[in-house]
Amino acid sequence: MELFTQLLITGITVGSIYSLVALGWTLIYKCSGVLNLAMGELTLIGAYVCLMFYQWGLPFPLAVFGTLLVGLALGLLTERLFLRPLIGEPVLTVIMVTVGLSFFFRGLVELVWGTDTMVFAPPIFPPEPIKLGTIVIGQAYVWSFVAALALLVIFVAFFRYTRWGLSMQATADDEMASLSLGVSADFVYALAWAIAFMSAGVGGTLLGNINGVNISVGYLGLLVLPAVVLGGLNSVPGAIAGGLIIGVLQNLAGGYLDGLTIAGLKIIPGGVKDIFPFAIMTVFLLFKPYGLFGWIRIERV
Amino acid sequence: MHLPCGTYHDRYGQDHAWWQTRFVWVRMIALFLLLYVGLPATGNFYLISVANIIGYTILSAMGVQLLIGFAGQVTLGHAAFVAVGAYASAIAMLQFHLPYLVSIALAALVAGLWSVLFGLPSARVKGFYLIMTTMAAQFITVDFIITQYVSQIGGRGHYFSLPPGTIALGPWVIDNDIEVYYLMVTLVILCLIFMANLMRTRVGRAWIAIRDNDIAAEVMGVNVFRYKLLAFLVAGVLGGIAGAFWISTLAFVSPEHFQWGWSLWLVGVILIGGVGSNYGTVFGSMFMVLVLEALKFALIPLTPVFPHLLEKFLYVKEAAFGLAIVLFLIYEPNGLAYRWWQIKNYIHLWPFSY
Repeated sequence: MELFTQLLITGITVGSIYSLVALGWTLIYKCSGVLNLAMGELTLIGAYVCLMFYQWGLPFPLAVFGTLLVGLALGLLTERLFLRPLIGEPVLTVIMVTVGLSFFFRGLVELVWGTDTMVFAPPIFPPEPIKLGTIVIGQAYVWSFVAALALLVIFVAFFRYTRWGLSMQATADDEMASLSLGVSADFVYALAWAIAFMSAGVGGTLLGNINGVNISVGYLGLLVLPAVVLGGLNSVPGAIAGGLIIGVLQNLAGGYLDGLTIAGLKIIPGGVKDIFPFAIMTVFLLFKPYGLFGWIRIERV
Repeated sequence: MHLPCGTYHDRYGQDHAWWQTRFVWVRMIALFLLLYVGLPATGNFYLISVANIIGYTILSAMGVQLLIGFAGQVTLGHAAFVAVGAYASAIAMLQFHLPYLVSIALAALVAGLWSVLFGLPSARVKGFYLIMTTMAAQFITVDFIITQYVSQIGGRGHYFSLPPGTIALGPWVIDNDIEVYYLMVTLVILCLIFMANLMRTRVGRAWIAIRDNDIAAEVMGVNVFRYKLLAFLVAGVLGGIAGAFWISTLAFVSPEHFQWGWSLWLVGVILIGGVGSNYGTVFGSMFMVLVLEALKFALIPLTPVFPHLLEKFLYVKEAAFGLAIVLFLIYEPNGLAYRWWQIKNYIHLWPFSY
């Protein structure tokens, strides 16, 4: 039971980071219909940019703020250079452009920062764990959870109450109607990419604080794809729920299934944690092809 | 495709022929001579090894072309089936001491069936959701099943290396680049003939109907599910052949050769070459390999300025490849095959090209 609670809490904290990145993904999809496969690389860029600022001697909150600014700039730039010319092209073309972008970004990151694991030094969060009864949680996890939650609240409030957020909701709902009411679709697309870059950047920073920064942060960022599929592509609450579910299930699987031995025979030697989200997603899709909260698409010939 | 000026057909057989004019005959024979005699005669091992990489890329990308370009089932996990082929072939040779040719056939079969297993979700889901299940196929197959289970067979660790002399077709031992090259050319030509002919049959037409509009195809009486599975089967078979060929080039195999990046790379190859055309597979592979090799030479003069550039060439390559895909999709969405088609038509219609 203790192990279970421990894994559950770790899962929820990691899951909250996935939720944050998944939110960015869903936003792009809702507003502009782009299925973005470069999300892992956006996470990667964020982690490295924040690390760079931190190594320059900036205090951590300022470094995160700097990451947000760089994310904003990169998001606007990416949308303008690579996605704007493709408005109205087939879905596959746009997906493949994001695949191209993911290669491009990963190559650039490796070129600039190399592939060795780097850590935030000196550590940002004190290494002493917090003890709740018998359960031990690293402070990095606690603060990541708090930060992810805070950003989620900020983003949701942004959609609810600001003019820009409302125009994004309008575009997602009906592009033609919002265009005729004076919402600039170009601006909304750019904003969606900027927010995706920012949320992925902060998500990457938080993940990097937990595990150290290297290329595998990009792989963790990729796990948002099962999360959004589970939540049903076009739903913001779905993305948040999906992120949490994936985080929890992944940690439970890692804790219980890795090295599973039945009757002296090693049934599972290891490595379940990395692939479990994808396995869950495949099985889930067979039973509920549109996710938890997704819209069922009705097709016509 | 326009016929050259002054060529008229008066029998259906002429219309169906592969090589319709004397010029094409001469051209194709010259191509065969170049491939089988000319290139090996140069004795340039660098050239031959580059050709082998191109051949491997063509063989691997052919299955992707079939799934994406002909049957419309987007896959981002094809490296998994290449991996299954490579491991099936390696295990057949190492554990069961089967001859290489038998192991190729076995690899094709196993990879095809494995591919059908992961094609099953295509009955329920399509579009982006199908992309996700093929991605899952990649991670489950390569990062879990092969790394954790298959690699343990025989206690060799992660690398299966094949002792010299194992890879042989009867008395013909394949142990240097030139011999690998002959094997590669033969396999590529056979697979291309197979694919090109398949697309002229009922099966190929059914795939194209599904690609263009699956609901309409179903209404027309195409059994969509069966043909989708058939597409996955054939793509897996081609992937298996590519995998079995791969072990002949390096004589060892490791899960690291078949990472997700290679799946994406293959998709990029057909996008640059042209989706929905066998020329596209060939041109895309040639473009990717040759341009990136040329890039390497272009970077050598820059080394005094950036001393670590060549060590980091892998990353430059990745970034350049990504940029190439993006630029091609934006500025030349039909790929190189379309450009080739335009050039051919221009020549055929010359001097009356209006």
